[in-house]
Amino acid sequence: MLQFIKRLEKPSRLIAIAFSCVIVAAIGLVDYLTGYEISFSVFYLLGVALAVWFVGKWFGAFVSVASVAVWVAGDIASGAHFASPLIPIWNALILLTFYLVVVWLLARLRSLHQNLEAQVRERTAALTEEMAERERLERELLEISEREQRRMGQDLHDGLCQHLTGATLAGQVLEEKLAALGLAETADAGKVVEIVEEGINLSRRLAKGLYPVELEADGLMLALEEFAGTSSKLFKVSCRFECDLPVLIHDPATAGHLYRIAQEAVGNAIKHGKAMNILIRLDASEENTELSIKDDGSGLPDPLPPRRGMGLRIMAHRSAMIGGMFQARRDENGGTLVTCAISAKPGSEKSPRE
Amino acid sequence: MNKSKAEIYLVDDHPLVREWLTNLIHQQPDLIVCGESADAPHALQEITATKPDVAIVDISLKNGSGIELIKSLKAARPDIAVIVLSMHDERLYAERALRAGARGYIMKSETAKKVILAIRQVLAGKIYMSEGLAAIFAEKFVDGRLPASGSLADQLSDRELEVFQLLGKGYETRQVAEMMKVSMKTVQAHCAHIKEKLKLTNAAELLREAVRWQENYPAG
Repeated sequence: MLQFIKRLEKPSRLIAIAFSCVIVAAIGLVDYLTGYEISFSVFYLLGVALAVWFVGKWFGAFVSVASVAVWVAGDIASGAHFASPLIPIWNALILLTFYLVVVWLLARLRSLHQNLEAQVRERTAALTEEMAERERLERELLEISEREQRRMGQDLHDGLCQHLTGATLAGQVLEEKLAALGLAETADAGKVVEIVEEGINLSRRLAKGLYPVELEADGLMLALEEFAGTSSKLFKVSCRFECDLPVLIHDPATAGHLYRIAQEAVGNAIKHGKAMNILIRLDASEENTELSIKDDGSGLPDPLPPRRGMGLRIMAHRSAMIGGMFQARRDENGGTLVTCAISAKPGSEKSPRE
Repeated sequence: MNKSKAEIYLVDDHPLVREWLTNLIHQQPDLIVCGESADAPHALQEITATKPDVAIVDISLKNGSGIELIKSLKAARPDIAVIVLSMHDERLYAERALRAGARGYIMKSETAKKVILAIRQVLAGKIYMSEGLAAIFAEKFVDGRLPASGSLADQLSDRELEVFQLLGKGYETRQVAEMMKVSMKTVQAHCAHIKEKLKLTNAAELLREAVRWQENYPAG
């Protein structure tokens, strides 16, 4: 109904004015032709209503007066006789009052309707903006954490580790000097060098965790392979990486997000799913590049506990940031299957293939 | 010119590492540091001029990669022995560095104890690498995973060789499929055969091998 009225509101005021006049004239004619004994007064309301709704209350009042005039004139023209000349005036005034009350009511209704509509529009716009803002913030947050991690990883790798290397060299110099003097403390200096060397390895491992994917295009394949190996050893499970074709990811951010998705999925499989076998695959087809992580664990619980829901949300966000299609579901054969597919032709529709 | 001490040139963008490496080397009676540099172009210029016996090069430098520097150094001074000193994992980078012409690879976390040993080894004309790395190479050799490049063309079918070459030239598998007018499944099958024939364990290795082969036999 509202839709219908809305569609009617589109045409210009001129058409509405013309239409109301035609209606009043037409009903007046019918009223005249059917004689004065049958009253058509209520039908004039159609013209009045049109005038109020689509033009305004003053024009509505004018149409009311015109309708009443036409009605009285029609009755008289079709031969109505009144005992007193005051009677048609009295009838006309009653009818006019009735019309004017309708005009006033309709005008109020219309302004209420318009206000409501404006309010709904405003709220919807505010809500949409809020949602977009939230989405943007969430992405920004991910990006910042990614950037900060990368920066920290690089600082550790290129700054701290190199500094510690300098320290081991200095220790070695000291050790050799002590050895030349034939002092018993030589062994201690050697020990210091070893401890600092362990520190370098610790920092390197930290850096690797923060910034796992090297910047070359084949970096993701190498990183996932290494990650599968480390996970197997660390958690005493079988975590394999399979990749039949070389898959190159030229955008380091994309590679980074795919790596984190794999990391999160494997972490979930081990921690929540108690999986013993995990398979990470990187596949390329004509249409897309797909990362998938399949495990033989207990599968996704329904409903998800909030913490895990968050992990899945972040994976989905990462996927969205690189324009991927994300899916996490219970596999037919038990366990969980997580996939992220990136279209081979970003932004373009699937082209028909010969 | 008869040198009493072997001359060593350092290329590393960390001053602290250069400083203490110099101190350590100067402590040896038979070794001396003849110069140092933080970036590749400067290093290449000075090494060509000063003619050291050994250059110790970090892979990640301020301007340009150490691997490229090794290649240029070997081109300019074929007799120089290069030792790579790197924070990067030897399993990922050592093969690349040695194939570029380096005679040794040391992880920075092991530098202090091993660098003097490595310098003496390369001066004696040997190759230096850690025991772990030597074991990996030996295993690859025994498994036949270090293919003799010349015979490669004989081992692969024409279509397989075509896939291998295109991958080596840097094309994506998707482009390879398009250029050869076959489906990705077919390319995948070719890759599986190549891996089997060349005894490569995974796609990353296949790619590395393809790129390396392309570099050595660009005419193909």
